[in-house]
Amino acid sequence: MTHPVRATRQLVLAALLSLMMALPGCVVLDSPEKIAQVEETQDPFEPTNRYIFELNRFLDEIVMKPVATWYYIALPNPVQDGIHNALANLRQPWTAINDVFQGNPDRAYVAVVRFAINSSIGIAGLFDMATSLGFPEHEEDAGQTFAIMGLPGDPYLMLPILGPSNPRDAAGLAVDYLLDPFNLIARSRDSDTAFPFIRGMVTGVDNRARNLDTVEALQKSSVDFYATVRSAYRQRRNAEIRNGAPGANAPAPRVSQEGGASGKQAAPAQ
Amino acid sequence: MIDRRRLLALVGLGLCVGDWQGPVAAVAAPELVTPSNRQLASSDAGEFIVTLAERAVTGLADPSITPDERSARFRTLLNQGFDVPAIARFALGRYWRLASETERQEYLLLFEKLTVQTYAKRFTEYAGEKLKIVQTRAGGEGDAVVASELLRPTGPAVKVDWRVRRDETGFKVFDVVVEGVSMSVTQRDEFSAVIQRAGGKVDGLLATLREKTGNAAPR
Repeated sequence: MTHPVRATRQLVLAALLSLMMALPGCVVLDSPEKIAQVEETQDPFEPTNRYIFELNRFLDEIVMKPVATWYYIALPNPVQDGIHNALANLRQPWTAINDVFQGNPDRAYVAVVRFAINSSIGIAGLFDMATSLGFPEHEEDAGQTFAIMGLPGDPYLMLPILGPSNPRDAAGLAVDYLLDPFNLIARSRDSDTAFPFIRGMVTGVDNRARNLDTVEALQKSSVDFYATVRSAYRQRRNAEIRNGAPGANAPAPRVSQEGGASGKQAAPAQ
Repeated sequence: MIDRRRLLALVGLGLCVGDWQGPVAAVAAPELVTPSNRQLASSDAGEFIVTLAERAVTGLADPSITPDERSARFRTLLNQGFDVPAIARFALGRYWRLASETERQEYLLLFEKLTVQTYAKRFTEYAGEKLKIVQTRAGGEGDAVVASELLRPTGPAVKVDWRVRRDETGFKVFDVVVEGVSMSVTQRDEFSAVIQRAGGKVDGLLATLREKTGNAAPR
């Protein structure tokens, strides 16, 4: 007789395997249009990515959104803000380390001072006192540091559960998770080994809860939600890498004499 | 996950704050920006954005007006504040040149309808957000970029850049960039994906837009 836990595990494994088998693969480059398309989108795994995107949306619908909705409705606003601030505060040391690796000691200093202020008079990070004292928040991660080091941001990848990414940002996520100082400390102590995972889950719920309305509005208004997310993710990441400085060759709608749009040539640099 | 959620929120917000599509102009306005009015463009552009935002809030957020009235006002304001023909063409990217005259006309109509349908009602959700102009800088070729912050009752401020240009009738917005995400570029990429999935046919996008807006196909 099969042990029930083992049976469940086998079932999950089988389900995962069949999902993998169903992956539609890459864009088949069988025409000049398809080749041009991949050059433009830098998304050679688009069929697979779209498949995972739909899977993520389904998981969001049945798990993440209900949990986030519950969190949003059940917890009073000050509690939610406190949780959000505390999570953001925990990120500051890792942000400072990345600032250093990106060659921005001034920004690292701001992150360190923020952490000191909010951890003390902000009561373990529950209140953001630093912003009003002239130390505004910023976040850095390993993906951005890799970008500064010159790693390319293509091709586009849709990660299961984690969402839009690319090899650089995916590696960055792993490094963030493994090397974040608080995760490191927690893993070294037997009683706290679950901390990194729980922290990640709460961060996810917090973010989802804050964006319930906007995500829904965006889903409703877009005609190809996958493409919207792909485009916005890249632009957003590029802006984060530049720390909000204006792009060198930001494209803009421009009318030529014949009345044709000439935006294509000015596609955002990756 | 953090990044995705956050950027989605920001994009959504940007769509609520500043829209950039709109009414159909049968004849495209020629570009009249010359180096001589470049100076002008950057000095008054901030004021133009402030006025535009104020008009949007006073005219559209009013809960007592009917949805039809709100749509009508939204349309008027867009027409006055945004360079819609340029934006619409940009959103179609290289496919604008490949589209037939009939397709272009229908596209412009659907584009406007989708916009009004989607965004006019968002102003009913106005909750006291305020726009603060941070700086205005020259954006090249007579353009100006008005950098602003959207201050919300809760949560952090959102950075919104308004790219404006002066033509013969005054300033016009031609792009809204929310936390680094250009609304025009995002929409162009989205439309381009729809067309590519339809085998490179502009009519594939038109069909999608028709369905989205509830428009019948033209005969």
